[in-house]
Amino acid sequence: MTRLSLHGLRKTYPGTGQAAVHGIDLTVESGSLTALLGPSGCGKTTTMKLIAGLIAPDAGEVRLDASPITALPPERRGVTMVFQDPLLFPHQTIAQNIGFGLRMRGLPPARIAESVAAMLSRVRLDGLGDRRPAALSGGQQQRAALARALVLQPRVLLLDEPLSNLDPGLRDEMRQLIRSLQQETGITTIVVTHDQAEAVALADQIVLILEGRLAQQGPPDALYRRPAALAVARFFGGVNFLPGRSQGGLFHSAVGPLTLPPGAPEGDHVLTLRPEALRLGPGPNPRTARITSVTFLGTQTRVGLAVDGTALQALTTPDLASALVPGGEVTVSLPPEALWLLPPEATLSDPGQPIR
Amino acid sequence: MTDRTRLALLLAPALLVLGGLFLTGLGLTLLRSFRYMPALGLTDPDLSAYVAILTAPGFLTSLTLSLWIATTSTLIAATLALATALLLRQTFPGRAIISFLVQLNLTIPHIVGAIGILYLFSQSGSFARLAHAAGLIATPAQFPILTQDPTGIGIILLYVWKELPFITLILLANMQALGDDHESVARSLGASRWQAFRHVLLPMLMPGLLAASTLVFAFAFGAYEVPLILGAHAPKALPVLAWQASTDTDLATRPEAMAMAVVIALIGVALLALYARALAKGGSGAR
Repeated sequence: MTRLSLHGLRKTYPGTGQAAVHGIDLTVESGSLTALLGPSGCGKTTTMKLIAGLIAPDAGEVRLDASPITALPPERRGVTMVFQDPLLFPHQTIAQNIGFGLRMRGLPPARIAESVAAMLSRVRLDGLGDRRPAALSGGQQQRAALARALVLQPRVLLLDEPLSNLDPGLRDEMRQLIRSLQQETGITTIVVTHDQAEAVALADQIVLILEGRLAQQGPPDALYRRPAALAVARFFGGVNFLPGRSQGGLFHSAVGPLTLPPGAPEGDHVLTLRPEALRLGPGPNPRTARITSVTFLGTQTRVGLAVDGTALQALTTPDLASALVPGGEVTVSLPPEALWLLPPEATLSDPGQPIR
Repeated sequence: MTDRTRLALLLAPALLVLGGLFLTGLGLTLLRSFRYMPALGLTDPDLSAYVAILTAPGFLTSLTLSLWIATTSTLIAATLALATALLLRQTFPGRAIISFLVQLNLTIPHIVGAIGILYLFSQSGSFARLAHAAGLIATPAQFPILTQDPTGIGIILLYVWKELPFITLILLANMQALGDDHESVARSLGASRWQAFRHVLLPMLMPGLLAASTLVFAFAFGAYEVPLILGAHAPKALPVLAWQASTDTDLATRPEAMAMAVVIALIGVALLALYARALAKGGSGAR
């Protein structure tokens, strides 16, 4: 069980002039499954490579428990990284691939064969050990790559977009496999992903990186319901944003005063409300809205609304939306417990996490 | 126009060259090696030319010399090319210049290079005179015999110099296509820098390295002009023997020249077949 921490980690690629990673401070608890979430090009893979030691940081430190590993070469860190592509060695069989790390450690062949056989069956590749990588499907290759890393029982396991190259059906299977293997082994694991739904479904903890900076860290529902900044809310599919002022438990905005939940901060803020929390029908904080659009999305229907000229969106069930037509009017309510206040300007700072 | 006719038309020039020049040439060579030359009144094919060359006193020595030259220059060139490619893969100041210098001699013909080697390394050459002027040797004649020597040092020198950039270029292209992700994976799985090279990069480069080396070997084994210029009077490399026999004023030596050409070609083909088998066995998983 190992706790991983990053301290002021910074990296600028030569010639780009712009930092790929801007001084990240981050702690990943021992035995947790943490998702490193962020849009493409936000510095996630760079952060992983810095942890794995495949590139050197310009500044900052990587620690496992209390000991710094920044100066250690990748092979001596006890950190193993699985890449987005399986990158199996084409000249070796699947069994040889999985046994690679153990061979490099100089373990006796009998021990290696034993570990490899157990691992093959654990990732459901029994009987495929003698095949070459090219003879396996994409999903099988990805599982072999996972097995090749797990067999080493690393202190920290890094998975870079392990699902993004898989078909949707296989993605679910792989997600469950990662989850159950992680729970079984208790290896501190970081999964990189750009897909917020995947991060929410997979991880205990989410670390959201935006533009090379840590935007927010916490359990999935905290980022979902209590975003620290506008950018975080947007990344998690937030669409309803009302600028205004909080005073004495009321939020004064373009749609009139709204009752806030108890303990809401005072002053200028941006109020946000998740589209699925905006209720169609009477209730607390009721408003009359004009329907601007109705979009059927399958399991849900998106309803575009205008309240006093302010655009809002609601996600509801197709049943409830069946009577709605664009141009019509409907009563909507904004439940106080679903209202959340964001800092007014587009800052990414999270009060709990100092950002350099 | 159907696809088939279009295809036939597109292939026609290549087939014409291959069929008209290569196959006809090969056929004539074979016929003559069997002593079938109606123009000289030889209409009774037999194997006597082959018997004559294979039992000639110098044949085995020449064959050994040719194999020695080809093997040694291929091994040295391939090893140095691997080192050069690994170096040029890094980014460092001056990389562009070194890369340019390495590729420069691809454009220089073998024969020009051979003459250059002669000027530089022979006992009357520049290095001998420099060594003499510097007082390292008493007379230029004490300079070690590096050209036109019986062990083919000058020839090997030329081939290494000339083929190194060729193999390097192929390896660099290979490395670029592979990227460094496989090595990163290996390092992350606990392989040291050397282990990642030895167990991952090198095996993945092997097909390209073998292919390039085979071409170099086939050339060094079969070409006559370099050993003609840089080789000793005796023993002569096999292709030189063939060349001399085929340009002899005595037309009766033609069949022997042709037989020698056939033997050189056969050895070349046999080695290619061995290489293909090694490739199929060792690198079946490699792309």
